Amino acid sequence: MASAQTLNSLVKTYAFDKSTAERLVEAGFTVTSAKSADKKALMAAGFAGNETEEILLKFSKGKRDAAARRGTRKVVVDDRDFESTMVKVETRDPDLLKKDALLGKHLGEGMLPQRIVRKLVDGGLARGFSDAQLKLAADLALEEYNHAKVDATEAAGIVGAQSIGEPGTQMTMRTFHFAGVAEINVTLGLPRLIEIVDARRTPSTPTMRIFLKEKVKGDRAVATKIANQIEMTLLKDIAAVDADLGSLEIKVVPEMERMAEKDISFEDVLAAVNSVRRITATEEKGGKNPKILVKLTEPNFKNLQKAVEDLKKMKVKGIDGITRLVIRRDDDEKGYILFTEGSSLKEILEIPGIDHSRVLTNDIVQIQECLGIEAARQAVMDEAYATLQGQGLTVDRRHLMLVADVMTADGEVKAIGRQGVSGQKSSILARAAFEITVDHLLQAGMIGETDPLQGVAENIIVGQPVNLGTGAVRLAMDTVKLAKLVKTMPTPVSTVPVVVEAPAMSYEGTAAGSAEPEFAEEPEPKEEA
Amino acid sequence: MEYTRFEKARIVGARALQLSMGAPPLIETPADVRNPVRVSMLEYEAGAIPLTVKRTASHQVKAS
Repeated sequence: MASAQTLNSLVKTYAFDKSTAERLVEAGFTVTSAKSADKKALMAAGFAGNETEEILLKFSKGKRDAAARRGTRKVVVDDRDFESTMVKVETRDPDLLKKDALLGKHLGEGMLPQRIVRKLVDGGLARGFSDAQLKLAADLALEEYNHAKVDATEAAGIVGAQSIGEPGTQMTMRTFHFAGVAEINVTLGLPRLIEIVDARRTPSTPTMRIFLKEKVKGDRAVATKIANQIEMTLLKDIAAVDADLGSLEIKVVPEMERMAEKDISFEDVLAAVNSVRRITATEEKGGKNPKILVKLTEPNFKNLQKAVEDLKKMKVKGIDGITRLVIRRDDDEKGYILFTEGSSLKEILEIPGIDHSRVLTNDIVQIQECLGIEAARQAVMDEAYATLQGQGLTVDRRHLMLVADVMTADGEVKAIGRQGVSGQKSSILARAAFEITVDHLLQAGMIGETDPLQGVAENIIVGQPVNLGTGAVRLAMDTVKLAKLVKTMPTPVSTVPVVVEAPAMSYEGTAAGSAEPEFAEEPEPKEEA
Repeated sequence: MEYTRFEKARIVGARALQLSMGAPPLIETPADVRNPVRVSMLEYEAGAIPLTVKRTASHQVKAS
């Protein structure tokens, strides 16, 4: 419905509070008409004088804020001392401190991540390790850890991109698969990976997996009850909606079996129907089955049509968006799991009886809005990894970690392409080399922009060494070392051809030997390039 | 000092360039070794190259 879109847009883009937005929509405004409305029009629609001022202010502010949010990202050079950039996580738990010390004393100059230290200590204590064994464990761990570390200035981005891209060529294009549950389709393979990387607002097959609380997860009745609370039921699913053109009335006849299945009472339906705008609903007595008689507040044809449509699509029970729900018993889980078609994380978390800590959804944006950006980062990694794994491909998680980090570094989930990360580079040449070449060059030329030539693409274009790998190494002469080495260096042997002086020649002709001057043995010419 | 493979490559390469332009070697080399890159590598292994790498905070290197 257009008015729902308007409502949404007003609240999200222009930061209106819900009641004001609703009033604007009620008055028949769309975003465009409201934006261009003047004070008189707003007052005619029923807003007080100061309210109209606020509304007008919000509309002019909204555009500026949106533009400000679209800024480019500048490259920042970090010259701080290494020590000051280390994040030290302190703990005051005496048990943990004791454990950390057990291993810590064996580490010396080396450093291990805190989690690994804890795991080692826990594992060692569980097996009754002696101190010497702990030391051995620490040494081995340190060796493995240092070996696994990536070298500084390694081209991790390229390596990561190729490491994900190469298995990508082995992925199927076919989208559907039943993901373990017969009725619910999930996008898999390459199309799903593209969805993730493009940071699509909603996946093409949003789905959730809902686990139940430990105590009730084995109870089928409880599972069904919760399922009825969640699955979205529309009026048309449980009742017949008929319009009487003669009397301009609508009759709603609920089907009793369907209502019982879904655990909906007649009163629920009556109340829900009544909530529709511009109609009044009353119960019609008579006959075995209760009926609802719907009268319009403004009886005319158009309203009748609209009312019928609204009634049919009206949600009677359940959560918006959850179009389908399947209950399945899982042996590993030893209980029932709810699978949904459709995703609505915030609402689901409010349902009692479910295990809130284990709810899963594949809608990354919902995760970000509900659980935060770090959770979204984890979700990007998990979804990508699962997609690849589903095709039988294993990619080292560190490549996905890099992609997820780049996508979420600025606090929101950004796409990789030109509307996201790539389009926000501060280098003109890099953007021009990526897509829409001429526009970027023209724009930059008009403003008089400068390219700092800090990144990879622009340096390649210009022909300079790139600031990666060997190109990032800054050498300096160690004069102290040089002075020492010079003292012990071997005497150099000349390799330049030496001309021996020509012997004196007598007028009688040849001197001793020949008339030609002698040359010292010429060294072989330099081979091996 | 533990060098990354990029730093090692750069150091050996720079020294080899110096040698190729006439710099005297700083260690004894077997007579048949004349290629500047090979000489430079021998010097590196002997720890006889007087070049160091400047590292800033953005260069976090393997602990030795």
